[in-house]
Amino acid sequence: MGYIAARGGTTAIINAEQLVEYLRLQGGSTPLELIQIRDQLRHAVGRAMNEGALYAPMLAALAVKQAEGDSIEASFLLRAYRSTLSRIMPTLPISGEAMRCMRRISASFKDIPGGQMLGPSQDYQIRLLDNLIASETAASVTAVLAAYEQLVDAGMSADGAIGYFPKVADYMRQQQMIAQLPAEPDTSEPYDITRTAISFPCPRSARLQSLAQGDTGCLLTYAYSSVRGYGDAHPTLAELRFGYLPIQVAHPLTGEAITIGEISATECEIVSKAHSVAAKQNTPRFNLGYGFTFGHGEVKAISMAILDSVLTQAKAKGLSGESGPAANEEFVLLHSDGIEASGFTAHYKLPHYVTFEADLKVLDRAREHTTTQSQTRLQEIATRTQEASA
Amino acid sequence: MYTTSHILSHSPVATVTAMAEQVLQHYPTDAVTIISGPRVAMVQLRMQESVANSVFNAGEILVTETRLELNGTFGFGMIIGNDPTFATALAVIDAALRLPGDPHADLHTTINDLGDQLSTSQQRQFAAANSTKVEFDVF
Repeated sequence: MGYIAARGGTTAIINAEQLVEYLRLQGGSTPLELIQIRDQLRHAVGRAMNEGALYAPMLAALAVKQAEGDSIEASFLLRAYRSTLSRIMPTLPISGEAMRCMRRISASFKDIPGGQMLGPSQDYQIRLLDNLIASETAASVTAVLAAYEQLVDAGMSADGAIGYFPKVADYMRQQQMIAQLPAEPDTSEPYDITRTAISFPCPRSARLQSLAQGDTGCLLTYAYSSVRGYGDAHPTLAELRFGYLPIQVAHPLTGEAITIGEISATECEIVSKAHSVAAKQNTPRFNLGYGFTFGHGEVKAISMAILDSVLTQAKAKGLSGESGPAANEEFVLLHSDGIEASGFTAHYKLPHYVTFEADLKVLDRAREHTTTQSQTRLQEIATRTQEASA
Repeated sequence: MYTTSHILSHSPVATVTAMAEQVLQHYPTDAVTIISGPRVAMVQLRMQESVANSVFNAGEILVTETRLELNGTFGFGMIIGNDPTFATALAVIDAALRLPGDPHADLHTTINDLGDQLSTSQQRQFAAANSTKVEFDVF
């Protein structure tokens, strides 16, 4: 069997791609419409957008369809498309306080200003498969839409509220519960990891940008490891909100703020229970971590906030006990991009004939060396045996 | 409560397009000069986080942008998503509202009506969420 460098294979590759399309459609089911995917698979669409780092729901729906539901492949497609677009300008900075909240909860305080709204949530459902969803009809859809009207009537307030709430973090700051973060070098522009490769130690803006486009599963794993025991995280949810953020840019002529629409987003603050980044110098205070995702991505936002909190404390040497891998900023940020990680892993499927041929030669030389040594030892034994017999 | 751009960007594209066409009826075709676009591009989302109140880049947003002149007055339109018609209509209205002498003051009435509709729509949306307001009991 010989191992050689290879090229070509074009026909086989084209046929392989056609086979993918065949497998997707072979059952004869009705092709999915993008608007169905956008509306009914909103978590898959949201994940593709936040890991692809491009807010574009219809394109994300296309990516999910093309990737046949593979979340990393979908985000890869979206990020690749992103690289073909020019960036016109940055938006004006927007705070989560400007969000029209559809959901807002806190695990730290029972009574928060404005109250808690569960919003669209499956947190309190029993995880049983719902056969009614499997047999949805136009009539059942109409019934759901009618039930929505009852919710509107039940929640309508006379004050014309549309969902603006103060931040729990601001309340905690007013109560002097929150530690000030160590000062960073003042820069007018936040770090942009799409323009400058990240280097360590990195500024906070680079960390948050990197985490915001990180793989959900990876962030979850790192955060969980720190919570479970391979670290020092003791998180409590200060606030989690999901809703709609208005986006503004500066008018190119007048500079005034122009609203260009809104995006759905999730924002989260995690408070650490027992530590303060400045505990050794000042009055002990809580430490906060921040999480943000496009769409409705609560687990990712919480994981990001936990990691932000852990990394902040690790940087300030405020951790006690085992710090664990989740406290290593370089380790976390350089291994949490799902597209980079999956791309690197997937590349092992491509031909490596030349490099493997080199490995084979090394293996052959090692074998020759071992055989030679073995023969030499046998000859020595034979010689000694002959000498002893004589 | 809402700014003009907030109302228009949240309004149905058909309504905004009809407003722009209403403006254009008052001008010859060559009164409109396209400077750039409509083009699909990105804006970079700058989030102000709540821990250190610092700003970071949270990702890109797909937008469509048009820049034009209407009778020599600059107009700018940008909308989230891939919608060249919407972006161009917004640019026409932006220019129309900047024209000297405010010749399209009638647009303000329509915009106010759209603002009322938007307010009602968002109040209803929030009301549905508000129906899930919760009071947890403590043991």
